[in-house]
This record gives sequence, structure tokens and C-alpha cells, in this order.
Amino acid sequence: MRRLLVLLALALGLALGQEAKLKACFIYVGPIGDAGWTYAHDQGRKKAEAALPWLETRYVESVPEAQALPVIDRFVKEGCQVIFATSFGYMEAVLEAAKKYPNVLFAHATGIKRAPNVATYMADFYQVYYLNGLAAGALSKTGKVGYVAAFPIPEVKRHINAFTLGVRAVNPKAQVLVRWINAWYDPAKAREATEALLAQGADVFAFTEDTPTVIQTAAKKGAYSFGHYTPMLKFAPDHVVSGQIVHWDVIYTDFLKKVKEGVYTAKNLQNVDYFWLLQHKAVEMGADYGVPINPKHVPLLQKAQMTVDGKKVSVYDRIMALLKDMQSPNPTFDPFTGPIRDRKGVVRIPAGKKASLQELLSMEWAAPGVVGDWPGEPK
Amino acid sequence: MEEALVRAVLFGTPILLAALGALLSERSGVVNLGVEGMMALSALAAFAVAQEAGPLLGVVAGMGVGGFLGLSLGVFAVFLRTNQFVAGLAVAALGLGASGLLGKRYEGVPLAHPLPEEGLALVALALALLLHHLLLRTRFGLYLRSVGENPRAADLFGVNVDGVRYGALGLGGGLIGLAGAYLSLAYRPSWTDGMTSGLGWVAIALVILAAWQPLRAVFGAYLFGLLFFLQFRLQGSVPIPSEAFAAMPYLLVILVLALSGRARAPKALGVPFERGR
Repeated sequence: MRRLLVLLALALGLALGQEAKLKACFIYVGPIGDAGWTYAHDQGRKKAEAALPWLETRYVESVPEAQALPVIDRFVKEGCQVIFATSFGYMEAVLEAAKKYPNVLFAHATGIKRAPNVATYMADFYQVYYLNGLAAGALSKTGKVGYVAAFPIPEVKRHINAFTLGVRAVNPKAQVLVRWINAWYDPAKAREATEALLAQGADVFAFTEDTPTVIQTAAKKGAYSFGHYTPMLKFAPDHVVSGQIVHWDVIYTDFLKKVKEGVYTAKNLQNVDYFWLLQHKAVEMGADYGVPINPKHVPLLQKAQMTVDGKKVSVYDRIMALLKDMQSPNPTFDPFTGPIRDRKGVVRIPAGKKASLQELLSMEWAAPGVVGDWPGEPK
Repeated sequence: MEEALVRAVLFGTPILLAALGALLSERSGVVNLGVEGMMALSALAAFAVAQEAGPLLGVVAGMGVGGFLGLSLGVFAVFLRTNQFVAGLAVAALGLGASGLLGKRYEGVPLAHPLPEEGLALVALALALLLHHLLLRTRFGLYLRSVGENPRAADLFGVNVDGVRYGALGLGGGLIGLAGAYLSLAYRPSWTDGMTSGLGWVAIALVILAAWQPLRAVFGAYLFGLLFFLQFRLQGSVPIPSEAFAAMPYLLVILVLALSGRARAPKALGVPFERGR
């Protein structure tokens, strides 16, 4: 009898322990194995779960945007208290579900609309692109840098502009040749766009696409490149210089901790918008985790010179100094600090001003040095 | 310009190989809508085996998986006499799904020893010429065509209709498998889910546009490759929006091949053959 009581107590304790777990659920737009966007989010989910013992997670992958609502319904039925929706296209479904389930907390990646129980979040690369641009400007012999771009939306334009500003800070005459493939994932288009740019003389490459195709193609012709989204050094160890790497777990962990502590509730998310950068460690500059610049290319960048405030400095030192600054709690440098004109000569950011978050999120203009079609370019 | 011609051939090659494979089975009277999935699964098989045992065995594995899937389609189309369109779509879905599922551990892994594209492109061209010769100048070709045009007559003359169709599907599957191997071992020496990105469907369309003739398929595949490359080469230097450029290869290939002569399908295409009826 005593044994039974102990067992019962244990079972009850376990059950209570289970109850105390916070349940967070993730809706993914793609398959978790795609090595790109969804893969990175899933890595973030796993790391958050490993870091937070009181967290329990679930996910559903490859959910078409029109199917989001039924998945959310299911999540709520299963007791999900926090729901992360990781595609821009889920926006309307999230807002609708938020009304239907006012006690559930929602967080929408790359979203632009919030509600009392809907927060938005984004880990953004624009600073990292600027730093990679500095390196690209130093490494290009032809003065032509290639950029294979996904869709002409503000996010991608912001990244190309930041990259171009970096390239031109080192080599004011350099051009960034942009080719749109109108796809997030299309290795054949990425390959042929890279080939076209190589044929036009580009000798350094950056891109927005979910595979290492650009890197592999560029390396075949001996051209340098910068990895995107996940570490891609292993695909061309001699030619990948650096790159942009994401760490979604930093945002997930922070958000969930604050939910657990009661800081975030289903009533106060109206103004919660993460736009996390280098200083929050949500993104990293690197050819690989912990490798900001491929050691093979460090000597070249040390030898290359650029002018900063009238003084000559090595490009390598400049990159490292800015990286350190932007990683610090109070960065003093921002790539989008005026005066900045667009490629048509219109002043976009006045002298001494920094681009506001709104200006960053709605960026449509093209920086000087960008060459190529630019859909939606302001007149 | 030289650059553009090289791209035309190198990007046209996987489409050509897949189209030749589909063409072979269609000339025997069996529609093959499974190309996309067959390419995807053989691309994975080629990559996985190449990683363990070297690229040449990888090619063999890719062709083997392609041939196996071709024969599987044959079981439905020839033995069970099911609707060939449904069976083909099932093979497409199966190949795409299975490759995604089984390929997870090969995502983000670089291929140790890639194959030279140029060599495979020459092999593909040689295969096209060989197929042209086989179809039009040999007894084998005569049997194959007769089975696709009039299986009952062929049967009366002692041709093994089912055997020829299995053979065409198996060999054709092997060619489609080679197209998959080309993608994962040479064109883009790595593996990702969905890496065929619709090339299989382009190949199926090309078979029809090329009027089931191997040499026209060569022309069509290279033309598509050329235009696909040119959309990026010309983007930005010509005042045409990039979205319009993206449609150009498809539209122009359809136009050129449509103007180059009327297509006539093998008469028994898609019709299951049953003896004595």
C-alpha cells in the first residue's frame, strides 16, 4: 500500500512537472532538411529546447501559406501556448488566429503587422553584408562584383545596398552587377546567373539563394565568394572568404524566457518587434561558425588598403574594428549613415542621420554602384 | 558568344538526356510522366554511391535506379494495364518524396569527387546520335516503332510487345537516371531536396515539341539551355523586366519547335496493349 502511494505521488509529481512545461510550436513553410531558411529555424528550435529545460516544442513542416490556419487550430487544441510562424506569407493567418485565440502568444518572423498577442521578429544581415562588401571590394581585380539575388523586395534590396556601400568604401569605382532569379530556391537559375556574371567579368560573388550553387560555380573559375545563411566554407575551402550566418535560437530563447517569466503576455506584444543584429548575436559574419574570415584570405585583406577619414588603413583591420564595434552593446557605426544618395543622385539619408527602422524595412532605392535591373526603383 | 554556346550545351544536357529517356519509352507506346521523380531519386542514388565508392559507380547507381523506376512504371503500364498518366504521376511523386526523405543526411555535404560536365555532355550527344540511328536504321528500331504505332500488327508478326515496352522503359529510365546523375555529380556537385527544379517536366514537354525525334530533341534542349543562360546574360543590359526574361526560354522554344513542323505522336501512345482484343 505504501509503495503504491509513493508510486502515485511520483506519477502525480511527474504529471505536474509535465504541466509546468511551456509548450511552443513552430509552423515551417519548407522542409527542415533544405539547408536554408526552414533548416535554420529548426536548428534554432532545437537549440532553444536544449537550453531551456522547461520548454517543450513541436513543429509541422512544409505548410503551404493557405494551410496555416488549420495547423494553428491543431496546435491550440494540443495545448500550444506560444506559436511561431516562420514565413512572411503566414501574416494574415496569424492575425486571424490571434483574434480567435486571444490567450495564445504568437510571433511572426519577418512580419510587419502586430497585435496585443502577436509579436514580430527578424534576424537581419545588413551589417554583415556591409562588412563582406568591404572584403569583396578589396578582393575584386576587375572591379566587377557579382550578386545573384532572389526577389526584388526591400529585405533583399537592403542587403544588396549595404553590400554595395561596403564594396565602394574600398573601391569607389567598383560595380555590383545584380541578376534577379525571382526564386528563393532554384539551383539551376543560380548556376546560370553566376555563369552569366562570370562571362561579364565578375570575379567576386555574393548572393541570396538557399543552396551553395553560386559558391561552387564561382570556385570553378577561381572566383571568390561569400556564403549565405549557413556556413558554406566546406563547399569551396579555397574560395569562400566569409559570409552571413543566422542564429535564430538567440531570438527564440530570449522570447520564450520572457514568456516564462511573465514579461510577455498575450496582452502586451503590440510593440514587441525584434530586429536583431550583430550586437544581439542573432547573426554572425563568417565563412564558418567562429571563423569571421577564411585564414587563407587574411593576408590579402591585410595588404589591401582603404581610406577612412583621410587615413590609410588595411581593409582587414577596418573589417575587424567595425565588427567589434557592431558587436558591442552600443555600436557607433552603421552602414546606412548619411549622406547617402541613391544611384540616381537623390539624397536618401541626409548627412549625419541614420536610417530609421522604417526606412530600412521599406528600402526600394538602389545604392550608387549597383548595376542592373531594379524592379520598383523610385523615380 | 562562345560562353553562351558552352552554357547551351552544358545546361541543355540534363534536359536532353531526360528527354531521350522519355522519348524512347514513348516511341514504344508508353507515356512516361514520372521523369521528374525518376531524375530526383537517381540524382540522390548517384550522389550517395559516388560519396562512398567513387563517381563512376555513382553514375552506374543513378542509371540503375532510373532503369528500375522505368521498369516499375512498366509493371503498371504493361503488366497491370493501368492508366499510364496516373502511374507516371505516381512515380513522379514517389521519386520526389522518397529522394527528399532518404536524402536528408546528404544535405549540405560537398561531393568529394565531381565529374567533368564536358565529358558527360559529349556522351549525351553521342547517345542522341546513337538513338537516332537505332530508331530509324535498325531492326530494333523497327520493332520499337511498330510496337508504338500498331502493337497488334507487331504482335502478329511475332514481336514481343510487352518485352519491347519493358526494354524501352528500362533503357529510357537508365537515360533519365543518367540525367539525374549529371545534376548531382557534375552540373551541381551536391544534393538538395527538389534539386531537379522542374527540369523533368521541361524534358517531357520537349519530347512532344521535338515530335518524338532524337535530333530535334538535341536542338530543342540546347536552344532551351541557350535561352535560359541568355535571360541572365542580357538582364540589366536590355530594358526588359527580369520577370519577362524568365518566361522567354519556355516561350521561344515552344515557338521555334512548333514552327519547325507538326508533331505526330506514336499512334498507340498511352493505350495499354492486350493480346487478342
